[in-house]
Amino acid sequence: MSKPHRLHPATILFNFIRTIRESIFLIILGFITFKGESFLYFSLVLSALVVLFITISVLSWYRFTYRIVEDELRIEYGIFIRKKRFISKNRIQSIDLTAGVIHRLFKLVKVQIETAGSGMNAEASLKAVTLQDGEQIRRELKSVRSTSIEESEIEEYPSQKISKKRLFIAGSTSGSIGVMLAIAAFGFSELEQFIPDDFYNNTYEWVIGLGLAIIVFLVMVILLMLWLLGIAGTMIKYGNFTITKHEDELFITRGLLEKKQITIPLKRIQAVGMQESVIRQPLGFVTVYAEVAGGSLDQGEEFSTVLFPILKANEVEGFLEKFLPTHKPTNKQLQPLPKRARKFYVLRSIVPFVILAGVAIYFYPQFSWVPIVLLVGSLYLGLLRYKDGGILTEDKRLTVRFRVLNKNTVIIFHKRIQAFEKKQHKIQKFNRLATISLSIVGKLGVGKHYKLKDLDESNTDVLADWYSYRK
Amino acid sequence: MMRQPPSNTIAKDAIKAWRITALLGEGIVWLVTISLGVLYFVFDWSVWIVLIAFIVSVLSTVFFVVILPKLRWRRWRYEVFEQEIYIQHGILIVSRTLVPMIRVQHVDTKQGPILKRYNLASVTISTAATTHEIPALLEEDASELRDRISALARVDEDDV
Repeated sequence: MSKPHRLHPATILFNFIRTIRESIFLIILGFITFKGESFLYFSLVLSALVVLFITISVLSWYRFTYRIVEDELRIEYGIFIRKKRFISKNRIQSIDLTAGVIHRLFKLVKVQIETAGSGMNAEASLKAVTLQDGEQIRRELKSVRSTSIEESEIEEYPSQKISKKRLFIAGSTSGSIGVMLAIAAFGFSELEQFIPDDFYNNTYEWVIGLGLAIIVFLVMVILLMLWLLGIAGTMIKYGNFTITKHEDELFITRGLLEKKQITIPLKRIQAVGMQESVIRQPLGFVTVYAEVAGGSLDQGEEFSTVLFPILKANEVEGFLEKFLPTHKPTNKQLQPLPKRARKFYVLRSIVPFVILAGVAIYFYPQFSWVPIVLLVGSLYLGLLRYKDGGILTEDKRLTVRFRVLNKNTVIIFHKRIQAFEKKQHKIQKFNRLATISLSIVGKLGVGKHYKLKDLDESNTDVLADWYSYRK
Repeated sequence: MMRQPPSNTIAKDAIKAWRITALLGEGIVWLVTISLGVLYFVFDWSVWIVLIAFIVSVLSTVFFVVILPKLRWRRWRYEVFEQEIYIQHGILIVSRTLVPMIRVQHVDTKQGPILKRYNLASVTISTAATTHEIPALLEEDASELRDRISALARVDEDDV
């Protein structure tokens, strides 16, 4: 591959689509503003623009070349200003091949190359090459260690794929159902208001009643649609989700329409978490995720990197044993929060709703049941937060469990914690309680902080001793 | 390791510097009060608004200029060990932070016009995930501290 290569000509199409997408707003604006006679001139300008866009697309494809020389990827691009970017093989963290819908039509892939630096965009990306070329680039740029054994041992890497049934469960319990329930509750509370007491007494109101029935029916249909959309969204995003472990990295491929590939070097994993969302927890399902330092938004993972979208709670141990044995969940009991912390958790949780309820009951007494339901809900949530809070240190490993809405259990190693903070206000001090905050490096190199409120103060001091490097 | 507060206080002149900063902020509050007063005379506004504004201005000035800097200074503590940095701050919520030396990525000192007047400077310590500031140290203390932290932080990192 020492000769300069061009990308697949389909890149022209991608370039063109992108420029159109960027200027679509202006074009639509033009259509609206220029009517009548001036519309002719506008069309002329527009066609000139389209020609210009096509020329630019072709030229930028023509001027973009890549080659691999002396263990370096060399990219040259730019129409007027020639730019060159050389990336040394040793610096490359990951090479991912992804394929969008159009890519898959032409049997093409996009090659995304990441180095250790953090930023919004991938360090280098080859927009469209054939699948063979993509795989060859990957083989050539991969460090020496893996190339020798890759062919012979490819079958033996541990791997796990999501089943159709599980994928469906994941979809039907995805977050959107919560939003829907909220909308439904709100919708019904509104509707009830419009139903007068002597509702069926005269025909006029009967007609409205019919209208209402239709509205209720429509709302139900919309909710069902949203739910199905949620399922479809999850199916498309996590379809064919497969995780494979190579020597020192995890490989994830996923996506039904758009095929995404994510490489996670093991040594960049800062923490591993298990999330039990409010909907999935009663059904006993868990999502396993990892906090990976660096990376770019191009990989399409928003916050944390999902290691497996849905697992039964009792399968998590086996899963992590297979892929990340160091982060296997502990079988010991976590140190719970002290009894006296409970009232603070409940208070913190209900105070905003008490105020809300006060205001609501004063101004809209007929709706007073809404804030009261919320109040009871928040009280329960506060109790759950208290019950779920816990912490455990085992040798150099720390397990923190906390709940905001969803229950999270996070496993962090001592050396990954960037700073340790203990906070205490007067009332906490009086009750011998303290809040801790642990900072790790998160996505895009931005700090991520785990906070657990109202621990027993003596426990936080023991934890500080565990964290401290002074011995 | 967090049972005792850190041993070193920051420079005493920090109080003066903070007072000046607070005074500048209060200047805006007083400007609003004075313009309300003018409005009262010109447009015959309610005297109560002016009175309340005046009381708020006086109280906030006393609190932010006289009381708060002193409380803040008294709470601010730091201590630099060979292996880590230990910082305490916060008036209502007392926060104590441990920053290991091997996690420190860089140290900066900086000095604005107010700090310069009192020969003070602040030290900012950054890790890959957080930044911590020790405000208002004597200039030479600040640069000494910066050099010391940066020397101590030069420990080999295992891997981050």
